[in-house]
Amino acid sequence: MPIERRTLLKGLAAAPAALAAPPLLRHAMAQSETLDVAAVYSLSGTFANVGTLLNNGSQWAMEHYGSVLGRKINYILLDDRGDAGEAVRKVQEAMSQRGIKHIIGCTNSAIALAVQKEVNARGGIYVQMAGADESTGKDCNKANFRWPVASYSAVNATMRPLIEKFPNAKKWYTITGQYVFGDSLLTNVKDVLKEKGLQHVGNSYHSLSDREYSGYIATALASSPDVLAICNFGNQTLDVIRQAISYGMKRNTKILAIWSTGLDQFQALGPENCEGVYFGCNFWHGVDTPGGREVAAVVKAKTGDVPNYLQACGYAVAQVLVEGIKKAGTTEIAPLIKAMEGMTYEGPTGLEKIRPEDHQVIKDYYLMLGKAKSAMKDKNDFAEVIAATKAFLPPDKTGCKMA
Amino acid sequence: MDTPRFPNVTTLIVAAAMIVLPFVVPATLASQIAIFATAALSVTLLLGGAGLLSFGQGLYLGIGAYASGLLLRDAGFALLPTLLVATAGTAAVAAVLGAVMVRRQGIYFVMLTLAFAQMGYFAMLAAKDVTGGENGLSGLPRRFDLFGATIASPLSFYVLSAGVFGLAFLAVQRLLASPFGSVLTAIRENEGRSEAMGYNVRLYKIAVIAVAGGIAGLAGSLHAVFLGFVPPTDVDLEVGQRMLVMSIIGGVGSPGGALVGSAFYTLVSEALSELWARWMALIALVLIALVLFLPGGLWSAGRHLTGLLRRRDADG
Repeated sequence: MPIERRTLLKGLAAAPAALAAPPLLRHAMAQSETLDVAAVYSLSGTFANVGTLLNNGSQWAMEHYGSVLGRKINYILLDDRGDAGEAVRKVQEAMSQRGIKHIIGCTNSAIALAVQKEVNARGGIYVQMAGADESTGKDCNKANFRWPVASYSAVNATMRPLIEKFPNAKKWYTITGQYVFGDSLLTNVKDVLKEKGLQHVGNSYHSLSDREYSGYIATALASSPDVLAICNFGNQTLDVIRQAISYGMKRNTKILAIWSTGLDQFQALGPENCEGVYFGCNFWHGVDTPGGREVAAVVKAKTGDVPNYLQACGYAVAQVLVEGIKKAGTTEIAPLIKAMEGMTYEGPTGLEKIRPEDHQVIKDYYLMLGKAKSAMKDKNDFAEVIAATKAFLPPDKTGCKMA
Repeated sequence: MDTPRFPNVTTLIVAAAMIVLPFVVPATLASQIAIFATAALSVTLLLGGAGLLSFGQGLYLGIGAYASGLLLRDAGFALLPTLLVATAGTAAVAAVLGAVMVRRQGIYFVMLTLAFAQMGYFAMLAAKDVTGGENGLSGLPRRFDLFGATIASPLSFYVLSAGVFGLAFLAVQRLLASPFGSVLTAIRENEGRSEAMGYNVRLYKIAVIAVAGGIAGLAGSLHAVFLGFVPPTDVDLEVGQRMLVMSIIGGVGSPGGALVGSAFYTLVSEALSELWARWMALIALVLIALVLFLPGGLWSAGRHLTGLLRRRDADG
């Protein structure tokens, strides 16, 4: 019997679908047994040292949970190489071609801000650790949740206790990284100083590539400040502290690093530099809470040591997502977001709550004071917590308009 | 350079590769390859065509990307006018900067390209209210209509990127095969003699810098459209270096090298970055090996192999 041309064409058109059917079915079945969670971190590039520790925390958290709602958690790492464009492309690929809807992590704010828009546009959920105010401010969206505090909280949770402690410290000098995050810290510092009637005697800006700050410190010294507030992040914070100390600034001036990553930076500075310096931290392993003990146990099993901020932060974003899924009883995005709004849980810093208005996790931020080497109880006991404060902008002041 | 014919076997190979690409790698990765192949074409034209080494092509990619982002988001432009305006605008900027740069030759020309690229990056940071600064430019539309077709899925973005690359590729091939291309070759081989023959070398150089800038701007425009976002790295000095490395790895002797270089760099970085944080060291090793042993880049490997086989057949 001759085959008609139309029949042949129809058959040929159907062939690829028929060939693809078994893998599609397998994929669909596998999907019901596992939950794919993609983590966006920079494992190479400029921020590889930060991304690796964050990734460790998230991966260990997911291994610790193992499964949720009876579905095995399949942790998929997306290495963005420190490039926000690469992060967006990989998230696009994961969501559109692999059907992944649950995303966590970021290594810097630019990546988080780009990814949170992408995830929202594609109907997913994203839990991250950006520092930029915009993340839960003017750029907030339904899909996006943020664990660490924003710059407003860091400034207010460190400056206000310090001002109370030293009411005579009237003159403040700032050294600021000339980038979005540094500027954001500086703006908040100025606001607090204005409100308290204190004097801002000067500011020195440095660029993202600066490593030498002696000129700025000499300028600061010339204005005889009572407090030097450092408004930057990462290794630049360490360099400013080291150089300020080597110029003898610690003798007459309080040094406050508003944004620090805690343990790993203390280890890099050593107790001789940490002593008498004030630091702002999102997490401290010495704060005894049920959630903190859980993180400590997970990290100790992996490294034999206590958790640092980056590991705890990586852990925290994974925890927020899994606890949310448990509360929602589903992995479907809309009910999951709804369940996470207002959710409270035992997080690494104690009882933490997700604010429904902007999806910001409400948690403590610590003001810490570096200890003398002789006062350290163990090799990681670099600092003591002076104040633990939940200082957040009221929701109507964040600029967040949840669509 | 290839024998300047147009179209030739290179055209066919490149067309076949672009058809096969989305079947062997994910569509988003294929789009990335096509976009950076377009970007690398600008270096191929400058370095391979006119012998002008530029570290600053990333600046034009960045200008194209930011211009497109602003046109799409704030001016409500459609896709096609955005691509056209961004390309023409970047070419105009490149022409102006080129008029300054061609006043110097050799190392001084190279340093000027570097300086302008650096200025571009800091200008982007300084104008953060417009560009978004380090956070990048976001809020771009994610769905486009082009000649009645909707561009929203990864595959449709690939078709767009591949189509644009194809057009840019044909344009570069045509340009190099034209009398204009012959003058560029003459300038590359002996600038002094070209001048003595009466050619206005500076004008030719400005023209090729403008065209190459326009192509880089087109790549930047595509990148912004593809991501729905302009990352600050698009105007970073590193992106210009990456374009240069891609071109040299692929080979600046043929426009086909731009595609090979982009595919090689993108796929190798994709495969290695999760295994080893210092994967760039391997790219550097490849670059060293190519410069030492295969200066024509990977594209020339085929020609070398064909030559070897022919010689062996002749000997046999």
